[in-house]
Amino acid sequence: MKCTYRRRYGLPSLLAAVLLLSGALAHAADFQLPALNSPPSGEHHAGKMIWADLTTPDLAAAEKFYGGLFGWTFQRIRAGDVNYAVALLDGRPIGGMVEKTIPAGEHQQSVWLTFLAANDIDAVKKLAVSHGAKVLKDIKSYPLRGRQCVLSDPEGAPFALLASSSGDTPDYLPATGDWIWSSLHAKDAGAEAAFYQNLLGYDVFDLPSDDGLQHLILSTDDFARASANDLERDSAHRRSHWLNFVRVENTAATAAKVVALGGRVLVEPRVDRHGGMLAVVADPAGAPFGLMEWSESDTKAEPK
Amino acid sequence: MKTLRTRLMASGLGTMAALLLCACEVTGVGVEGSVGYDGGYYAPYGYDYGGWGAGYRVGPGRCCDHRDDHHDDHHDVGRGRAGHAPAYRPAPAGRSAPSIPGRSRGH
Repeated sequence: MKCTYRRRYGLPSLLAAVLLLSGALAHAADFQLPALNSPPSGEHHAGKMIWADLTTPDLAAAEKFYGGLFGWTFQRIRAGDVNYAVALLDGRPIGGMVEKTIPAGEHQQSVWLTFLAANDIDAVKKLAVSHGAKVLKDIKSYPLRGRQCVLSDPEGAPFALLASSSGDTPDYLPATGDWIWSSLHAKDAGAEAAFYQNLLGYDVFDLPSDDGLQHLILSTDDFARASANDLERDSAHRRSHWLNFVRVENTAATAAKVVALGGRVLVEPRVDRHGGMLAVVADPAGAPFGLMEWSESDTKAEPK
Repeated sequence: MKTLRTRLMASGLGTMAALLLCACEVTGVGVEGSVGYDGGYYAPYGYDYGGWGAGYRVGPGRCCDHRDDHHDDHHDVGRGRAGHAPAYRPAPAGRSAPSIPGRSRGH
């Protein structure tokens, strides 16, 4: 009698538990985000943009677009319902793309999420929250990549913090096709600069402007890392956001290619502060990003 | 009867443990090393990401752009808005704004 009950109830439950546990572990083992740096860089550059993730409704279409535009290649990672592709430039991971279905009848904006390097992510997250940030996704560990969380700043601009397990990307001039710059666009660039300065220790430089708006350079380690800019005031349809720029050889030609591949031009090619051209474009799903020319001679000297 | 209740309870606990594991698989809770991915984020729809004015410059300067620490007609540089102290701590006066790294990989 005792044996019958054990067989009927105990063993099947135990088997189910073992099966589910092995399933969960198998899925966990599948989803391995690569290290940012192989071998590890051993460098830490708080506040540097070191990664970007695109959320898109059509991963295959995104791969076709960015592969055609920048020559990126992709490494697919699938775990459970998650479809993720690591974007590689010359075999080096520089960003990721995650596919997420937009429910029928809903409108959502596909965007690139900016990841800023943070050494002590727990402390920085705590500081961010105490200065008005909201936690969108709490800290989570990915063994090879590191620990990351997604926050929104006091004006609601989403950004992510990443404590990379393999160190931060070394301070080289980014290659063509790699991320070269990030700009924050905010209702009050000064207040936002103060927020990020408190978190990541930026030095803040206010540069002259012709448009009466505040344009600030945020630097660490004596290198410019990003800019914080007042939003144009002529439209209510603007929200605070981060924008990431890819280095290109020819902004106008690349912008034309964006259109040929199904994207749009949001800001026509124009000369920026360094004398080179930049533009803002959107991929076929509408995700905005920037293009920026940068010749070797644009950086005239290494900082002391 | 007592034995039956005990065994039913044990099998119930086993089922609960199995369901809990299943929940962990879906949410990633408590599994260091992660299952699934938490980075995906869509922004609200209907906002304008373009339409920049002519003088709207967002990129870095060349090394090393000097700040204009003097009051001018366009903008009270280094002093925040409308001449008030900025919310941030400005870099020390006299320091030039740095540029991006200039060293190429492999050099």
